[in-house]
Amino acid sequence: MPHVLKAPLTVEFPFTRSLGPVQSAFLTGLRERVVLGVRGSDGRVLVPPAEYDPVTAEEIRDLVEVAPTGTVTTWAWNHEPRRGQPLGTPFAWVLVRLDGADTALLHALDAPGPDAVRTGMRVRVRWAGERTGAVTDIACFEPYDGEPEPPGGHPGVFEDPVRGIVAPARLDYTYSPGRAQTAYLDALGSRRIVGERCPSCRKVYVPPRGACPTCGVATAEQVEVGPRGTVTTFCIVNIKAKNLDIEVPYVYAHIALDGADLALHARIGSLPYDQVRMGLRVEPVWSEGSRYPDHYRPTGEPDAPYDTYKELL
Amino acid sequence: MSKEPVAVTGVGQTRHVAARRDVSLAGLVREAARQALDDAELTWADIDAVVIGKAPDFFEGVMMPELYLADALGAVGKPLLRVHTAGSVGGSTALVAANLVAARVHSTVLTVAFEKQSESNAMWGLSLPIPFQQPLLAGAGGFFAPHVRAYMRRSGAPDTVGSLVAYKDRRNALKNPYAHLHEHDITLAKVQASPMLWDPIRYSETCPSSDGACAMVLTDRAGAARSPRPPAWLHGGAMRSEPTLFAGKDFVSPRAGKDCAADVYRQAGVTDPRRDIDAVEMYVPFSWYEPMWLENLGFAEEGEGWKLTEAGVTELDGDLPVNMSGGVLSTNPIGASGMIRFAEAALQVRGQAGEHQVEGARRVLGHAYGGGSQFFAMWLVGADAPDS
Repeated sequence: MPHVLKAPLTVEFPFTRSLGPVQSAFLTGLRERVVLGVRGSDGRVLVPPAEYDPVTAEEIRDLVEVAPTGTVTTWAWNHEPRRGQPLGTPFAWVLVRLDGADTALLHALDAPGPDAVRTGMRVRVRWAGERTGAVTDIACFEPYDGEPEPPGGHPGVFEDPVRGIVAPARLDYTYSPGRAQTAYLDALGSRRIVGERCPSCRKVYVPPRGACPTCGVATAEQVEVGPRGTVTTFCIVNIKAKNLDIEVPYVYAHIALDGADLALHARIGSLPYDQVRMGLRVEPVWSEGSRYPDHYRPTGEPDAPYDTYKELL
Repeated sequence: MSKEPVAVTGVGQTRHVAARRDVSLAGLVREAARQALDDAELTWADIDAVVIGKAPDFFEGVMMPELYLADALGAVGKPLLRVHTAGSVGGSTALVAANLVAARVHSTVLTVAFEKQSESNAMWGLSLPIPFQQPLLAGAGGFFAPHVRAYMRRSGAPDTVGSLVAYKDRRNALKNPYAHLHEHDITLAKVQASPMLWDPIRYSETCPSSDGACAMVLTDRAGAARSPRPPAWLHGGAMRSEPTLFAGKDFVSPRAGKDCAADVYRQAGVTDPRRDIDAVEMYVPFSWYEPMWLENLGFAEEGEGWKLTEAGVTELDGDLPVNMSGGVLSTNPIGASGMIRFAEAALQVRGQAGEHQVEGARRVLGHAYGGGSQFFAMWLVGADAPDS
């Protein structure tokens, strides 16, 4: 196996959600320790509630309070809880049909072990201490052998209803750029720019992807390109991009390095932004501690004629 | 065996705005779907299958939203398909639905596309900080602006053409109650004085970020015969794709776009698009894409598209109106944007476009593209059935 780079990649974002009338009532209810379902056209009570009838597709808005007690309809033991799950110790994922409901709700059951869980067992809601109008307002379910608690007949109308929630999402990957990109990155470490030539169409790709997107064949022949190149087209950026420590205005350019068959993208510096032009000859300016050239600067050569780069815009 | 003719008998869309905080995703798609059914005077039970499209799941962070939207779209117990082709998805979604009818798999299909950009972060969703890679040096406009400069160099178009497009589209939007932007005090001078964001693209030459959904009912010949209003007939539809980057890629006039248009024209018997087509609703997220696509779609020779714009040919009362609805420049719920183009083409040939109706529009092209000029989807619809 050739040397291949790897690094963790975490993708994380707090998504917002507008709830609409039914989910708004359901989540506000949880905040107030009320579990609401909705009655469908066939008389069944759906918990969690849906906005539209799964049988007739009609809009349904008939909110019905159900009990905080119910019956486990099926379950699976979770040996190793992960980040963000309802309990930090092993627990059961359960589907619970609450008393008064005809469908089951997915949640966690706090139980000492899988031997303590069975389909048909009775459970009740354990409310979270602090409730905000979210499904986590139910901290989890717990075993319960008392009488069914009667629902309170709440109409589903609340002061100060929750209309939106924030749903944080996070994905953890191990990212690898692959064999070809790793070779490209390694070469950058010694300030060389190395692409790969397609064995079929002979085009040189920088950065290389390991395959030619036109011919669909693997590439392997390494070709050093540049370091000089030609600005084929560009724009002047006047608005500051987030997380980017570059003073505006600056020039973002497509640069066809000598020997490459398509342009890469980089910043042009070392001359005023309004003097950058198509055909300008440039070379990379490297900086300590950075893998990529900081920017490209004019070489002082005469501009390249349009015909020499018009296929490389 | 010949294909079944396909008719559009219902069109619906939401009133597109910056943020629809009053509805869930389900509530949003439902509005458009309900309107399309009402337009066709059909009920949920009349629909055989649902085809839904949107841009990446990562935009709103709801993975596979079609699963949760089945109830809202009356799809329980029916086939429900999801399509995804980046910004062109609204167009390709409609074409997948149309093909189900053309192939006689289903008689009547509901197709829906949406985006709720107020609950998403498109820039973030499209440019994750990938390890080892250089951070992107510019936003979405920074990706497109160099291609616009390349077009200007290649065509010799004067700098003002982009502002003419934006001024026209924003005025057209004033006639469309569904458009997001209604800039009642718009002037050409204001467009030209708006800040240069990614030179050569000005602020007023960029699209907004919208919440919205669009839906259509597509049906066969028998369904069209029962339609309470004139149907739009599909005369040709095609999709093409190509890599985002490859040696020899022409960003100004991508090969996939040319090939896609040629396929549509061949199906529809169009030999001279400028003569045979009455109006075009095309995907123009940055104003300069109007002259670029006029060339790519064969309405002008290479380097000549801007002359149509400059001469007023693409105005609502021009010889070849372009983006009668106000276009993407006035409304952009990304996943729905392609379908809104297709729906506008249908509304025009049905004579249902209201104040922005083009008199006597008989054949209108709807166009969508997406990714880095990577996916193309187009349809040509007509007032007459294709075999008559």
